[in-house]
Amino acid sequence: MDFSLSQEQQIFQDSARRMLETECRFETRGPLIAKGSFDGDRWRAIAEMGWLGMALPEEHGGFGGGAIETALLMEEIGRVLMVEPVWAIAVLTAHALLASGDERALALLPRLVAGEVLPVLAHNEADAGGVTEHVATVATPTAQGGWRISGEKTLVVGGNIADRFLVSARTSGRTGDREGISLFLVAADAAGLRRQNVRLIDNRWAAHLLLENVQVDKADVIGRVGGAIDALDEAHAYGLLAACAEAIGVMDRALWITRDYLKVRKQFGTTLSSFQALQHRMSEMLIELELSRSMLHRALSLFHAGPEIRRQALAAAKVHIGRSGKFVCGQAIQLHGGIGVTEEYVIGHYFKRMTTIEHELGHSHFHLQRLAELEQRRGTPVAPLAARNAA
Amino acid sequence: MDFSLDPADEAFRDEVRQFLREKLPADIAERSRRGYHPLLADVQAWTRIVYDHGWPGPNWPAEWGGCGWTHLRQFIFEEECALAGAPQLDVASFRMFGPLIMTFGSDALKNRYRDPILRGETCWGQGFSEPNAGSDLGALTTRAVREGDEYVINGRKIWTTNAHVANVLCVLARTNPESRRGFSMIIVDPKAPGVTIRPIIDIGEGHSLNETIFEDVRTPVDNLIGEEGQGWHYAKSLLDNERASSAEIPANKFNLMKLRQMAQRKRGDGTRLIDDPGFAARLARLEIDLQALEFLTLRALTEKAGGTRLPVGSLLKVRGSELFQKTGEMQLEALGDYVSYAYPPPEQSPHGIAAWPPGPAFAPGVVADFMYRRATTIYGGANEVQRQIIARSFLEL
Repeated sequence: MDFSLSQEQQIFQDSARRMLETECRFETRGPLIAKGSFDGDRWRAIAEMGWLGMALPEEHGGFGGGAIETALLMEEIGRVLMVEPVWAIAVLTAHALLASGDERALALLPRLVAGEVLPVLAHNEADAGGVTEHVATVATPTAQGGWRISGEKTLVVGGNIADRFLVSARTSGRTGDREGISLFLVAADAAGLRRQNVRLIDNRWAAHLLLENVQVDKADVIGRVGGAIDALDEAHAYGLLAACAEAIGVMDRALWITRDYLKVRKQFGTTLSSFQALQHRMSEMLIELELSRSMLHRALSLFHAGPEIRRQALAAAKVHIGRSGKFVCGQAIQLHGGIGVTEEYVIGHYFKRMTTIEHELGHSHFHLQRLAELEQRRGTPVAPLAARNAA
Repeated sequence: MDFSLDPADEAFRDEVRQFLREKLPADIAERSRRGYHPLLADVQAWTRIVYDHGWPGPNWPAEWGGCGWTHLRQFIFEEECALAGAPQLDVASFRMFGPLIMTFGSDALKNRYRDPILRGETCWGQGFSEPNAGSDLGALTTRAVREGDEYVINGRKIWTTNAHVANVLCVLARTNPESRRGFSMIIVDPKAPGVTIRPIIDIGEGHSLNETIFEDVRTPVDNLIGEEGQGWHYAKSLLDNERASSAEIPANKFNLMKLRQMAQRKRGDGTRLIDDPGFAARLARLEIDLQALEFLTLRALTEKAGGTRLPVGSLLKVRGSELFQKTGEMQLEALGDYVSYAYPPPEQSPHGIAAWPPGPAFAPGVVADFMYRRATTIYGGANEVQRQIIARSFLEL
């Protein structure tokens, strides 16, 4: 095990940080947000940095990195509260396409990496609550051999600028079944697809999709009919990992901004940093941050250890990071005082990004419940306790 | 970053498990799992078994005559031992005074103590804290005055763990009254004239702590560890070396395992505490806390020199000590009414375990351990001191 960055990783982190700190300045991002948190030129620049294909194999136009590179990039994205849909397109969608193994999907990947196409996974539904197999959207076969899709997709991050959607819909079974979910490529301007663009509280943008009898061809099915859950699991695994990494960047930056503020803000004739209650609060924030980082490390170390172990490790990381993130970013506001609750100042925006991350791909409580059920199913520990009773 | 595990380390884990299955005496394991303070005889017997197996000093480098294992293997060894219920090897011998002597001590001291420590024959009493110098070691008043080839020591030490069974004491005493940090570490025979050891019974009704009084106690100057006046520096180097073990992961892991077993017990009505979703969720939280501490520990263990200025030891100490207490609280929930029954430590009671009230097999020792663990957030530098260290040294507040 080696927790330190390799030379290449260090170079990547440094260059990403330099670029993002210059390009994603909080003070000047208003116009970008106003146009949907997306700009074609900027997106091409992002593609040229190689960020859209970091964790994709070279044979599909990627750069051969993996989970660690994804985490490194997402942490940097979190630090500057980047608003562009890198997570949605380069992580969630790219891994769904890759894991589908479908030829048409794989052919899209080099173009996604180059920034030429903007496919976005439209999988989430309002009542899913983190359950990947929750798909109520329905696809019914048509007489021509195609499909007709109806349903509602919520919080499709990046969906506002998508040129096509990778829509999950149920072709058999009931909501919640793992079998019977299929993926379809749907053009963004398809008849029957109503897209409402929504600005998120953290100034990313998403789409709310209504599908009413959207017609697709047989060729638009991605992967095996009814067999999409594995690709979705894979996408969610990368998505969760990336969300956790992003949260680490959010917490880290929120903590240091607060530290710097305490050193300059004066009240009662002295700097706030001289108050022990505040010093100890900051120490607690650091402890929560670093333990959260350890949960990310743990998730990375178990990422390829098999689906069940990975699922548990990601759930545990999401629980820890969700709780710690609320504490760190909440206290960052608290220690700032009144200015912390103003829209104009940056620190509240760290709290808001943390809030959206907490609700992405399953709230902490959802993941904790899953782990609690696991505790209930565990066998008796191996080493027995004292066998003899004195009574 | 590379988080892959070396298969050779996992093979090593299997080897340790095999050793424990074959060599750990059942009676020692049974006593040790209960949670009372370990008996010196058990600790010494177990250390000798480990030594005879060809594993002298599992955490010592080869040049000291130790196993020369990597930090990760030491960690695996300790974790497996704890989970199997083996008593912890004497911390003062293997992690404190042994390493200090092997690093800073004279050849005479190395020759005198090395082999007895490895064989488990020494028990050290640690005389650092004083009534008016707890977390604030700079306030120590115990004096050591040199007279010819002897030091004459006067002062009062408190919380001297194991002094009542120790065959050697190490006293942190002021040798330079001018300097706030003018301390030296001096070895003292607990049987020397002028040494008085009084028991301090902790709230778990156990006896591991003592008050140790030194009145004109004479000890040869050869018993000075390292150089005069360097005691502060040595104490600090100890803390640095031991920072990765601050969360006491092996013991915390054992406690959590014990909690699981208690919560899985079928109660009179056939239900189990673990079936309560609220309880299960809180248990899952503790497991997550442990996982985070374990990975932070691994990060500290595998770090190359000069890797980070992060005060990892302080971080681990704060949360590791809190985890002991949280786990203990849930163990008490699992005990139900038996929380309130007093099961005194066998050696403290004239009739031993025969005097215990009825209850489930796992009941004795749980509350004693829980009570004693209130000390975890105090000893080794209270958590408030750790938070201060974090704020000062890292956050530069």
